Parts: sequence; C-alpha cells; structure tokens
Amino acid sequence: MKKKNLHELIEQLRKDPNVVYWHEIEPQEANTVPMPDSLDVRLKSALVKRGIASLYTHQAAAYEAVRNGKHIVAVTPTASGKTLCYNLPVLQAIAEAEHSRALYLFPTKALAQDQKNELHEIIEEMGVPIYSYTYDGDTAPGIRQKIRQAGHIVITNPDMLHSAILPHHTKWVSLFENLRYVVIDELHTYRGVFGSHVANVIRRLKRICSFYGSKPIFICTSATIANPKELAEHLTGEPMTLINNNGAPRGRKHFVFYNPPVVHSSFNIRASATAEVNRLAKQFLENGIQTIVFARSRVRVELILSHLQAMVKDRLGPKTIRGYRGGYLPKERREIEKGLRSGEIIGVVSTNALELGVDIGQLQACIMTGYPGTVASTWQQAGRAGRRHGDSIVIMVASSNPIDQYIVQHPEYFFDRSPETARINPDNMLILVDHLKCAAYELPFRKGEKFGGLEVEDVLEFLTEQKVLHYRAGKWYWMNDAFPAHNISLRSASQENVVIIDISETANHRVIGEMDRFSAMTLLHEEAIYLHEGVQYQVEKLDWEEKKAYVREVNVEYFTDANLAVQLHVLEEDRSEQRQQLSLHYGDVSVRAMATIFKKIKLSTFENIGSGPIHLPEEELHTSATWIELGEELSDIDAPLLEQVLIGISNVLRHLVPMFVMCDRSDIYVVPQIKAPHSGRPTIFIYDRYPGGIGLSEAVFERYDEMIEKVKQWVENCPCESGCPSCIGIVEGQHHLAKQRIIAFLRQLLANEKG
Amino acid sequence: MSMKQKLARWKEQLASRHGAASEHADSPAAGRHSLEIPFLDEWQNKQVQPFFFDEDYCLIREVVYPLDYRHGRYQLGELHHVHQRWQAAPFAHPLSCKGFKASDLFFFDTETTGLSSGTGHVIFLLGHARVYADRVVVRQHFLPHPGAEVALYQSFLSEVDYTTLVTYNGKAFDWPKVKTRHTLIRDAVPKLPAFGHFDLYHASRRMWKQKLESIRLSEVEKEILQVERKEDVPGFLAPMMYADFLSTPHPDRIFPVFQHNERDILSLICLYIHLSNQLLDALGLDDALEQLETARWLESLGETAAAKQVYHHVTKKETKEAWQAKWQLSLLYKKEKRYEEAAAIWLELWEHGSDAWKVKAGLELAKAYEHYFRDVYEAYRYATRAYERWKTLFRTYKQGNSAQESEWRKRIERLKRKLNNKNISLASAKYDRK
Repeated sequence: MKKKNLHELIEQLRKDPNVVYWHEIEPQEANTVPMPDSLDVRLKSALVKRGIASLYTHQAAAYEAVRNGKHIVAVTPTASGKTLCYNLPVLQAIAEAEHSRALYLFPTKALAQDQKNELHEIIEEMGVPIYSYTYDGDTAPGIRQKIRQAGHIVITNPDMLHSAILPHHTKWVSLFENLRYVVIDELHTYRGVFGSHVANVIRRLKRICSFYGSKPIFICTSATIANPKELAEHLTGEPMTLINNNGAPRGRKHFVFYNPPVVHSSFNIRASATAEVNRLAKQFLENGIQTIVFARSRVRVELILSHLQAMVKDRLGPKTIRGYRGGYLPKERREIEKGLRSGEIIGVVSTNALELGVDIGQLQACIMTGYPGTVASTWQQAGRAGRRHGDSIVIMVASSNPIDQYIVQHPEYFFDRSPETARINPDNMLILVDHLKCAAYELPFRKGEKFGGLEVEDVLEFLTEQKVLHYRAGKWYWMNDAFPAHNISLRSASQENVVIIDISETANHRVIGEMDRFSAMTLLHEEAIYLHEGVQYQVEKLDWEEKKAYVREVNVEYFTDANLAVQLHVLEEDRSEQRQQLSLHYGDVSVRAMATIFKKIKLSTFENIGSGPIHLPEEELHTSATWIELGEELSDIDAPLLEQVLIGISNVLRHLVPMFVMCDRSDIYVVPQIKAPHSGRPTIFIYDRYPGGIGLSEAVFERYDEMIEKVKQWVENCPCESGCPSCIGIVEGQHHLAKQRIIAFLRQLLANEKG
Repeated sequence: MSMKQKLARWKEQLASRHGAASEHADSPAAGRHSLEIPFLDEWQNKQVQPFFFDEDYCLIREVVYPLDYRHGRYQLGELHHVHQRWQAAPFAHPLSCKGFKASDLFFFDTETTGLSSGTGHVIFLLGHARVYADRVVVRQHFLPHPGAEVALYQSFLSEVDYTTLVTYNGKAFDWPKVKTRHTLIRDAVPKLPAFGHFDLYHASRRMWKQKLESIRLSEVEKEILQVERKEDVPGFLAPMMYADFLSTPHPDRIFPVFQHNERDILSLICLYIHLSNQLLDALGLDDALEQLETARWLESLGETAAAKQVYHHVTKKETKEAWQAKWQLSLLYKKEKRYEEAAAIWLELWEHGSDAWKVKAGLELAKAYEHYFRDVYEAYRYATRAYERWKTLFRTYKQGNSAQESEWRKRIERLKRKLNNKNISLASAKYDRK
C-alpha cells in the first residue's frame, strides 16, 4: 500500500461524516528584524552559529523593553522562540558586566533541566565564562556552595526559592546583591492557590533584594490567557509591559472537531472517544506522519499507547511510538524528547505533561482525547502540531461528557471567545500570614514597612501576641524556634488536606492526590466514586481524624452525588452593583456544611440506583463569594417554579464557571437559596472552595454579563427536551416545562438588562 | 474589609496553625530603647557589665577561675600539661596544639533562639574561655534584645584575640551561624577572620559512638568527664527562656542559660584535656575499645608507626578488641608487603578465631598463598574451607550476599584450574608438602 501524505489524509478526513466542524488557521510569514546593534559580538555570533541570523519581532521587542528597564510579560505560542525573550537580555547583561546575576523560575524541575541544557549550548558557543546551574532538591551538596557564590544564572523552582534560598539568604549574598533579572517562565501555571503562594514568595524575594540593594527586572513568559498582564502584575507587584507581537512564522493549521457517532440512539450514547482516537491516530502513524495524542489520564495514556503499538508493530516497531507522562524517569523522558526531535519516534501519547514548554520539536498532527478542560490548555496542546512551514492538523475528539458535547456543538464558543482568566489572591489571609511569618524570619519588619503594598502592622501585632514575633524599638523580630517555611507547602491548598491513597495494589500503596476537607466531605465519603485523571476509584475508608482516604480502582457504571446541607452567612460585602432586576454582590461568607446522604446515579441514564448515609461532622469555611440577588419583579412567580429556576441556573453555572475562570470544577461551588438569611431574597451564591478565596468568585462578579448570556445560550441550545444533567439538571418532581420556564425567565432577564 | 477586620475573622484559625500560646505577651514598655539598661544593678551583681556601641549595648559577663579549679575529673590547669606534651608528640594530629600557645586555644560555645541555620534564628549568647598561665577567664557576650547585634558582634570581634577555635560541633553549627549573623550586619562590624578549628564533637564520635547512647556533650560530660550538673537547665529550653526574658528582661529569667553555657565551656576545656591524654597516652589506656579507636584514628591520619604501636598493645588485652587489633595490624603488614608477619596473624585468627574471623583470615590466606607464596594447593585448601564457613554464616545469620558467593565460586574455580594446569594431582601435592 502506498503511503498517503498529510494532504491526502486531510482530504480524506474532510469527507468523514463525524467531523462536525472544520476551522482553518491561515499561514503567517515570519516577521523579523535585524539583531540589535547593542548586542554583544560573542552573543551575536553564537546565535548565528545556531542558525539565528535575525530576531522575531516579539524577541526584539522583549529585548528592547528589558534593556529600557521595563518589566515584561511576553505571550508566546508554543515553538515561537520564547526562550530568547529572556536569554537574550540576561546573557547580554552578563557579557557586559560579569558580576550580573539572574534567577530563573520554572514551575517544575524537568523544565528547569531542559532550559539549562539549551542555555549551556548558547553559552558554550559564546565562549564566555558564564555559569548557570539548576538548584533544586537533586543538586549535590558539593556544588551548592559554588552555585551560591559563583552562579551567574541560578535555575530553580518556586518551592526551592521559598524553603531553601530565601530563608538562607545570607549564603546567597552575591546573588542578591547583583540580581538584575528574575525570569518567570510559564506564568499561566501560577494561578489559584499555587499562584497566590508564589506571589507572596516573590514579595519576600523583593524584600530581600532591597535589603541587599538590588532591584531586579521581571521577565515573564506566558501561554495565551485572557489576562497575562494583570496576572504578571499581580504576581510580581510591578507594572508590566505586554509583548504580544509574535513574529514567528507558521504554516496552515487545520483544527477539526470530531464527534464520535451515536451508537445507541434512544439513550443518546456515542461511541467511545478512545476508540475513535485509536483509529484516527493509526491512519496518521501508518503513513509516517509524526503525531501526538493527548489523553486526560495516565491510565488512558497507557491504554491508547498499548493499542497503537499493537496496531502498528508489524510496520513500525514498538519503539517508534512512546508514552510520555509524569512518573517516567527523567532519563527516559529526555530520550523520548530527543527521539521526537530527530524523527526516530513518530508517535507519542501524552498527558498534559507535554503541554508545558518541553522541547520536542514540531509535529504534524495532534489528536486530543476529549476537550482538555480549558481554552488555554487546548491551544497549548494544539500548539504541539504546527510546523513553521507546511500544513498541520489538530483533531479534538469529543467525549460524551456534557462540556465536550457543548463545545463541539458550539464551536464558536471555543474559537470566538477569549481564553480563561487566571486568578490569584495573594492577600488571602491564610496564605498572607504564612508568608509574613517566613518574611519576618528572613528579616525583621520595620514599623511602617509594607508587604506587597499592604499595611501589615495588625498582622505583625497579632503574631507578637502569639509569641511568634517580638517587638522592640520599631522592629518586629522572629522569636520562635520553628522554621516557618518547612510547614508551608506552596502546592497544597491548606495543611488540613485529606490525602488520597490508592490501595489497588497491595504491595504498592501510593498517594495519588489530596483534597481540602471541605470538598472531601462530598467527594471522598465512604463508598463515593472518586474520579482521578479520568479513572474511577471507590473510597473504601475515610479516616477523618487522620485525614486519609483509602481508594481502590474500580470500573462501574455509576457515579455518586452527595447532598450537602449548607448554611451560608454573609459576613461582609465588599462590592455591589445594582441592575434593573437584580443586584450583584461580592464579599466574604461563612459556609457551614454537613454532608447528609449520597446517591448512586447511573452514567448512561442518570437513574438513581441507590443511596446511603454519610456520617461526617459539620465543617465551616470562610471564603469569598459572589451572589446574585433577584429583585421583586423577577421573583414574583410561584415558589416551586422559582426554586426550579434557581436550581437550573445554578446547575448551568457549575458547568460554565470553571470554563471562565480557569479552574477545576471542584474549585468553586454554586448554591441557590430561595430566601437568603441575610436578605430574605432569592439568591444564587458562587463561592471559592478554598478558605479565604483565591479570586475565582470575584472573576465571576466581573464577568457576570458575559456569563449570564452564555447561561441562556447553553440552556437554549441543549438538545434535550425538558432538562438534562448537561444543562439545568434533573431534580425529583421536576416540572416537564421547567426548561421552557427557565429559558423564558432568562430571556426576560436579559431583555430587560439590555433595555 | 480592612486588614484588622479580616484578621479578627481569621485569628482563631491562624492561631491553631502555628500552635502558639494565645496568652498575651507583656507589652513592651514605652521608651525602653533609650540607653537605660533595665535591672542594671542585678546584672552587675552577677559580674555583668554593659558594652556600649553605636547607641545600643550588649552585656558582657566575665568569670575568672583559678587553675586548680576542678570540673569533673580534671583541674582546668591540666590543659597546660597536655599543651606541653603536644609540643613533644611524635605524631601529627588534628587535635594537636603544637606550635600554639596554651592561651591561643579559644573554647567557644553559643546559645541560639533555634536550631535551623536560616536567618531567622539568632545567637543570643556567645561564650568563650581561655586558659592563661595563672588563671582561666570565661567571657560571655549577651544580646539583651534582638536589635543589638551590631553591639554584640562589635564587642565579640574587637575584644577577643583568638587564633584557634575549640568547639563541640561548631564546624557545622556555631560557626556557620556566626557567619550568617555577621553577613546581616557586615557593614557595621569588623570583618570575620578565618579560624582554625578543633571540633571535639568529631573526636568524641570516633571515640565513643559505640559506647555511649548519644554523643551529646551532656552525655559525654556525664559518662566520660564525670561532671555532675546540679540544677542545670537543659539546652533545648534556652530559646524559650530567652523569649520569656525578652518580655520581662529580668536577669533571673535568663541567668540559668548563662550558667549552662559557662559549664559547657568548662567541659570543653576538660574534654580537650581528656582527648589529648587519650591520644598522647594511647599505649597505656585501660579501655580496650578506646585504645582500638585511637589506633584506628592514627591509622586513618597516616600515622602508621604510632598506630601499629597502639594496635600491638590492644592485641595483648583479653577482650574481643584484641582480635580486631590483630586483624588491623595484619592489614598494615600486608600493605607493607610483610606477608610472613601478616600470615602469622591470619593463621592465628584461622585457628583460634570465631567463624567470622575464620572467613576473613581464610580468604586472606588463600590470596596470600595464591599470589605471594605461590602455593596453589594451600590456596585452594584455605579457599574451600573458608567458603564452607562462609556458607554456614550465610545460612545461619544471613551474613553476606550472593555477589560474595559468586566471588568465592570464581576464586575456587580459578584455583582448581590452576591446579589442573600445573598438572599436579591433589594427591601428589599433598605428598610434596610432607
């Protein structure tokens, strides 16, 4: 059989009846400018040797802005040469003044390693003694001292900075005295709780720099998100210049939505996405087209991988198709990355581990098993396919999940809208106080000193009362024998998390995740079906005292849904807006919740097939919330209908909000109340699941209009007749006209707003 | 919401997070940061004087002891004896003070607000002692409040004329800490000079890690130096007592820590005397284990002649250490290619030692016969018999591993081959030897 080329395969795919949408992205020519005159000759010739004779416009803009003392955030798609945006000004600065120092922060160790290798190659060709090192948990004690004293470029991650570098800053005097640049790569990963922590670590970093007399410039790079400038400014506390004039060339890209055929029409059940992905991937691989397949869980990766390897083993040999996920050894991963770049490996099946900036070159085809969850990460994955010249294709195969189905049926939702907003809340009281302790440990606080622009005297006084600090003569000193950074993890939401332990293999119990106590009540109660990276687990035992949930992998046809009896109290209102028929509010709430019972619901039909009680104590959560309060006119309908309207809209919001604010479904909670205790009005509350809030509900407040419009479209466009779990949900005794009533309600609401 | 209101809402949860006491600290009295020193009279009654610098102050306590003051089993003045003997010692050693004056030795210990090496824990007491020709002087520099570090280090670094530091784990703990504190105020105080360093912790570990439950100074002091401490505060309470003192700066609240630190320093002097004696009098030591460890130490320093002498003495003892000493000695002979002397020891171990010794000695004998004496038959004989012993040990006590087993097999196979190659039958070999 003659091999088909990509063009022929694309034409063949155009005829496939399951392709529901075809989007083409036009090619773009490279936009380049000559190397700046100010560039060091050695650096220039090192670049020329690497085949870089001119700069893309965004690289040049980044270089100029940084040279002019501006903090920048560069938004760059995959493979647009973003590393030069920071390597160029940094290497130039060190070439000019040997004592200059730079600190590179990457969210993971693997990325740091990658960058080190690339950097070393340029430095070697420059022939200038510039030392760059990675400094992480794996760094040998022997060379740590050398790095501290002589490392021009220290490459590390925020966790190391937090617990190993900042608290020992006196050992890093030469770094902090001469720190010119701080590079923050993959900025978009610093969101939510993690981002809020990192913002505080950066406040501490800046404080120490100013003690040693340096004032570094921040250079950030980010994938496409709605608010890169805002996020960078929030994270660093500095005004940012946005660089988004991407000048990298790209070929034509075909972006295809593929919906597996309906195999069981009465229940509206579709063929499995995985099987379709296997079939599609096989066609590309057989024809020698380098392809990346993304799957949402490790297990799914292994399944698809073994399938593909079996299908093509006679023709290609198993080593040409590889898996890639967290849990592989670094050496193995390096080998796969190299194989992809050289073309020896033609297929790779990956989790979102390859979303981040790991260099694997550019592939011709990308297939996603299901919608990756956010617009931003979809574009990141899609960016893996796309050569600078020539065509490439991206296929998103929808799963039967409601969000996937919504996306493929409303492609404009995906292609027309801006990507998600990444939110952080560095002033979250719990996070802030943790880092104030670390900061006080690092250097005493002076009276009147601000922390990230905040007045913190009250907190310092509180910590003094707690005998953590000692106040004397206008200064607060650390006076406690603990080492605060050790008890504070940047990655976990709170110290009180429930650890999830997989006991499927008797000899190999492993921790697969953690969850805050509050969410654990409804998601990790005994007998709950817990979904982790797309795999079903059943909770066998929940040890509430010890904060451990023991789970075992299962394969069942149902999911569980727990009822949470929630009492909500508004503590403080920070913002509000009066609309025609309703009012919007944002502020702090106290949530008291108790899990009562759970139901087992069949996946295919959503039938209730059983239930059981949950015995857990009441939990209290202080957090931030946005609430929508209906006015007189809107709520003047009979009570059962009003209740259904509130429940229905809440259900849609649960699907929609995570898509707007870049978070997981379990990060926010939506609660409807017929009579909110503080006002007596019908109200929908949307609150952050993390104590103190991480900025999610505030984003909902800000994007209310956009969101309520989407709610209406969502319900209107849902193909179901009288409500389904994908839209307004199903409750017992639901009126058969509930859906129509809700649509009418939303239309009235929106019409009046506009009028 | 203002920070204050927010804080009020979170207080309870925050407090539980660092597990701190919620009891109110005594509020700092206004205007205390004038140079009025609280409770100055009481301080002076305790031989403590202020040291003023740059509008702040620290406190210095000085105590003088006569040379014949006894601390545990030694008089402090005995330092002079060991000092003299070191000058004449026939071997070099890290603890040797050859070439220094006795008063150059700077016995040094600190008390801190916490154990980590980060910047948040400060040294609040720097204590040191020196032994002069006629007296012993202990000086302690005390930080009366956290802001006074410039004065503290000014006093410590400018008054003190030091050359050689004697500490207990100071290399890893006290001195890095001094460096950290110094870095923070380096523009305001003299430079930190390079130090020579005697770390008695490492010496003690070598000497007593088998004998004592822990090598903490308090344990060594009690078991080895026969120092009895009455009413001493344990060192780990020092951070808490200091925090307490800061809220009400009465000397009584912190004075027990001064005394604790002072005793630690006196113990350092005695420990140096004791360890020096052990090294200098190694031949006459009663305790076989200590004698053996001393010899090993000398050996590891390359002082082979001195080490051999000490090993010899251990071999005469009727304890299990004698076997070990013989073994060490044999290895030294082997290194010097004195195979006959080495083999004599191995033979003794082979005939009279335990199974474990038999395996070790048998292996060495097999090697020596194969490569040095060139007697393949004897080599084969020892190898096979030692291997039998090894198998017994392996089966009974699970000593050894499969890698060793294959080593044994390889060796025996090789020897068998050699025997065949030489075309000597086992029987005739036996006959030849007769």
